[in-house]
Amino acid sequence: MRGKTKTKGKIKQKHNFRWWRNTIAKGVIYFVLICVGFVYLEPIFEMIAKTFMSSADIIDPSVTWIPKKLSLNNLEVAGTVLKVGPTLRNTILWSGGMAVAQTVVSAMTGYALSRYEFKFKALWFVMIVLAFIIPTPVTMIPRLMMFVSAQEATAIQLIGTAIPQVSMALLGQGVYSTVLILIFYTSFNMIPRVLDEAAQIDGASSLKIFWFIVVKMSATTILVVFLFSFVWNWNETYITGTLLRGNIELLPSKLNMFNSEFSSVATAQGGAFKLNKAYKMAATLISISPLLLLYVFVQKQFIQGIENTGITGE
Amino acid sequence: MAKKNEKRTKSGRTKGYEKRQNRLGYAFMAPWIAGFVLFTLIPFGATIALSFCNVNTNVTGYDITFAGWSNYYTAFFRNTEFVPALGSFLGMVIPYTFVILVVSFVMAYLLNKIEVGKGLMRTIYFLPVIIMSGPVMSQILDKTEETVQAAQGLYNGYEGVFILNMIRSYSPRIALFMEGIFDQLTMILWFTGIPIVLFVSGLQRINISLYEAAKIDMANEWQILWKITIPMIKPTALVAVIFTIAQLGTYDTSAIYSLIKTATNNTNGGFGFAATYSWIYCVVVLLVIGAACLIFKERQPKRRDIW
Repeated sequence: MRGKTKTKGKIKQKHNFRWWRNTIAKGVIYFVLICVGFVYLEPIFEMIAKTFMSSADIIDPSVTWIPKKLSLNNLEVAGTVLKVGPTLRNTILWSGGMAVAQTVVSAMTGYALSRYEFKFKALWFVMIVLAFIIPTPVTMIPRLMMFVSAQEATAIQLIGTAIPQVSMALLGQGVYSTVLILIFYTSFNMIPRVLDEAAQIDGASSLKIFWFIVVKMSATTILVVFLFSFVWNWNETYITGTLLRGNIELLPSKLNMFNSEFSSVATAQGGAFKLNKAYKMAATLISISPLLLLYVFVQKQFIQGIENTGITGE
Repeated sequence: MAKKNEKRTKSGRTKGYEKRQNRLGYAFMAPWIAGFVLFTLIPFGATIALSFCNVNTNVTGYDITFAGWSNYYTAFFRNTEFVPALGSFLGMVIPYTFVILVVSFVMAYLLNKIEVGKGLMRTIYFLPVIIMSGPVMSQILDKTEETVQAAQGLYNGYEGVFILNMIRSYSPRIALFMEGIFDQLTMILWFTGIPIVLFVSGLQRINISLYEAAKIDMANEWQILWKITIPMIKPTALVAVIFTIAQLGTYDTSAIYSLIKTATNNTNGGFGFAATYSWIYCVVVLLVIGAACLIFKERQPKRRDIW
């Protein structure tokens, strides 16, 4: 009897100890995650805070986070400099169009890789990865020369229009296309082949199988790929700067040239404004707020999609 | 007649089937292959060729003359900006990749451990994936105000940090390196978005029964981390490293990028130099990635002493 109770007490003690240890460990984990999370978000908080500060608050050293008086002046000025109305519409159309093109071609390539055993498949896999690893500037100069030559030869204006980049996206050479293909590849691999075979027996063509089975079953993946593509095309400035040369005004490239744009606008209006950090922060906030808004609405699908599809192509 | 149809290949399938597979596979791959050849393979070869040439723009198009190694000679010995830019690129990529890899693994490991508030935490940690871009980064990290203060001797954030002072007394160089990392912590952290995603999905794919078996054998968390989690996560780490290097390589505010951009915009003979610069840059990036592959390669166990 006595021995039994003793061991029981010991077990209880051990249990208690373990519970405490786990709780403390969890606490430490949360503490670290929240601290690092703050470091992540700090620039965004700062951006938001600075955006709504009046010019008096910015100079005032006693004001760091919360402005004394809410002011929309910075947003207004940054909006005028960025010409926010048309630029925003352009950027959304631009990124959306590119994303559609990239999604379609990546889905097709992913389908081919996942469903068919063709010759030199391993080689094409290596090429797909290689296309990702090669830094962009290496291929940019000949691409530019190619488009310029084509422009001279056909007398159709190419540089400064959307044609070069749309054709590149349509042929699977857009921003980070490799990643999109690999996402589709892993997700298509998870759709059972039995379904294909059943459809095949019923006389469906491969295009029909692609559309009615594979595409219709991967709505989440398509959304994820579209979003990734949209975001990456939105944020891309190097290729766009080289081929488009600012002929279509897009938000990120405008932001890139904010300093010079600002001074030109300011001199046009009589030089009443002086560039300060608040204007820049407001401009940055304007250029990322559509993405933030998008993220708020679709973050659940986004994160689940990433985790389920497993972006890692092994 | 029947025999002809039954001709089978090694894989045990009929020849007609394989042909069909081949045809359909290439049909679906066609756009990508065409694009790859047109926009990646040919330009890639052309860049190598152009790096040995002088390119001048004239009215009808381009005037290309062979120049031998002179572009390379200029890049390495005559241009005073190129070699330091390359050096600063390497000096950025190697420590950054290391720090990004470690931080993103730790964060993913911790994110994988929690239950309450999982969604919120992930939302925060995946945010950089969405908004990271060159212009945004350069606006956020615009440290001009601080550097002005530093020049006037008003600002030195790390003077009073005890640990850093301790390290500084040992070796000022290490202290300087660490200060650099702390200075750019936000920027480094913002590069961890995709690696964290990769690590989280990699961690979720590790079979739980492995952990259970280890726990039955009285392994503690620390041992499980080193003996199971890290070896299992190695392939993912390689993907993360490659992605990080590629991302850092295409991050368009580095010094090399601006050199290439200036050379590209110089229509009078600039393309040849730009091709040389970008080709050397490409070789460097590929070398770094190759080194990473060697480091993270799965080592075959030399002997098995489990039995």
